[in-house]
Amino acid sequence: MNSLRVARAALRARPSAIRAPLQRRGYAEAVSDKIKLSLSLPHQAIFKSADVVQVNIPAESGEMGVLANHVPSIEQLKPGLVEVIEEGGSSKQFFLSGGFAIVQPNSVLSINAVEGYSLEDFSADNVRAQISEAQKVANGNGSEQDIAEAKIELEVLESLQAVLK
Amino acid sequence: MPFAWKAAGITYNRYLTVAARAVRRSLKDDKRLVAERRGETDLRFTKWTNGKQGEPRSVVEANQAAMVEAAGGGQSA
Repeated sequence: MNSLRVARAALRARPSAIRAPLQRRGYAEAVSDKIKLSLSLPHQAIFKSADVVQVNIPAESGEMGVLANHVPSIEQLKPGLVEVIEEGGSSKQFFLSGGFAIVQPNSVLSINAVEGYSLEDFSADNVRAQISEAQKVANGNGSEQDIAEAKIELEVLESLQAVLK
Repeated sequence: MPFAWKAAGITYNRYLTVAARAVRRSLKDDKRLVAERRGETDLRFTKWTNGKQGEPRSVVEANQAAMVEAAGGGQSA
């Protein structure tokens, strides 16, 4: 008697279990594998909620690549190269002076920085001239703050020089 | 301490300013001239005590003084 009831329950349960996938409706197949990127500077928006495939960012905790459905996180950026891989595989590179990248839920990525330019906008000569100047200050006997600022400049410039080659 | 500049009393805001300045100065000359104007700051403030206006001071200079003070405090602590 008891086993019969179980069997009947199982019989009843099975059709609904089969039906369940058929009843599923929605846009599951159309879920985007793109990430919405906003790359903003105080004076310009380089990307404004644009669909891209992948973004590589130089976080303080290490280089990282951000794809769609990334875990939400907030990353402080080192002065360095941000690479944006767009649909179709083409990629764009920007050198940012440092800021924050915020990976939001639902594949939204916001990057904020003070300055950011494409690599072809930089002059290797200007970088070299600044490095020698900053090295002079860093090894000189200025104030503690002057030396610390020169070291910050060196960090930026050496990172820039490395990617310009 | 993860950042050496913090020991010198430099704030994150100042760090970003210095880094952005280095980036602007590295640009090709035509873009550099346009960009460098963004780095200029000229802001003054005065402190009012007992209804009397104090001496006007530049924010940049006041910040520099505050950083020196912060560095000294950091060392003695």
